Amino acid sequence: MRSEQEFRDQLRSWIRSKSGEGETAALTDGTALFEERYLRSVHLPELLLLLERLCGEPIDVEELSPRDFRSIDAMVRRYARSGVAS
Amino acid sequence: MSTSQARKARLAEALASLGPTVERLSRLSQRSYQNPYTAVEWPAEVRPEEEWFGSPEYLSLYGTEFWERLDEAARRRLAFHEAANFYSLNIHGEKGLMQGLAERLYRKDLLDVAGYLHHFLDEENKHSIYFGGFCTRYAKVYRSRQFSFEESRDERPRDVEDFLFFTRTMIFEEIVDHYNLVQSRDSRLHPVARFINHNHHFEESRHLVFGRRLVAALWESCSPSWDGGTVAGVRDHLRQFFTTSWREYYNPDVYADAGLDEPWETAERAWLAPAQREHRRRVSRKVTTFLLSGGILDKEPVDAF
Repeated sequence: MRSEQEFRDQLRSWIRSKSGEGETAALTDGTALFEERYLRSVHLPELLLLLERLCGEPIDVEELSPRDFRSIDAMVRRYARSGVAS
Repeated sequence: MSTSQARKARLAEALASLGPTVERLSRLSQRSYQNPYTAVEWPAEVRPEEEWFGSPEYLSLYGTEFWERLDEAARRRLAFHEAANFYSLNIHGEKGLMQGLAERLYRKDLLDVAGYLHHFLDEENKHSIYFGGFCTRYAKVYRSRQFSFEESRDERPRDVEDFLFFTRTMIFEEIVDHYNLVQSRDSRLHPVARFINHNHHFEESRHLVFGRRLVAALWESCSPSWDGGTVAGVRDHLRQFFTTSWREYYNPDVYADAGLDEPWETAERAWLAPAQREHRRRVSRKVTTFLLSGGILDKEPVDAF
């Protein structure tokens, strides 16, 4: 079972690899990932797959809300429930 | 002449140069016009653990630690579910493609290719009928993880959006076509699987000719007016699209249906397995060579491999 910190670390590391920003970039867990163009729509299927792997559960795209993807904090709040120790 | 007028003039010239190709492809499409409801005889049932529905060497676990642990029946069962996944990802890809084609049908600046867009649209719909026919009769349509929302969408100029749409289509179809060609010739496969792969390859060969010509024409006519940031953004988008497309071949839902434990971890480890990375690079080579040699990409999409 993944800890919340591990959940955050894996998301942060993946986002950095996709945005091309290094460790020194201004990315925080509250950064608006899509508004600030760290991520774009072409990244979403892979992000969903990563979230499913971290949760260990399928995520239904028909029940998604944009606000659940706004930031790392938002994703942790929404998806780090089942399968993740807080 | 303004930049915009110059771009329009270059685009018009490029599309006009496609005229003979478009006419030839349209004639071929008319000649091989199909009725998807009568072209295939569907067997009443299939035996997933006794027959091959996909070439084993093209399965997502081939060459990985997992493959050695599967017995023959489990390998065939995996091949069956992966065939349904392959058909499903085609259905989802074709939905987006049909949407994009319909939006561009009879647009003023694309009038020269409107006749062929009709064939393209018609043939994509028929392909989905074949794919859906298999999935709904014998398996299921696997869900798509494709989605977007307003904040995630890029506001791009129309010429950039057109170029990305047709280039994504070409990348998707070139990868699929490699699988279709190999599996259409594989005598181990069930006749229905061979038919679906053969038919798709036969039809897509026209789309691929059109796609390559159109992508080259759009690049040559539009990219000279794009600034460095736009070109870099286009290249980033296309490189990520390779990853997004290939990830769909490693579907945890398939592994769960095939009876494997820890389907998400299996997907991740299969994705990272050296044999699979080499497989993706090899299957992608034709389209990456096209994109690199034309200067559309300046480096290989290494994240996908």
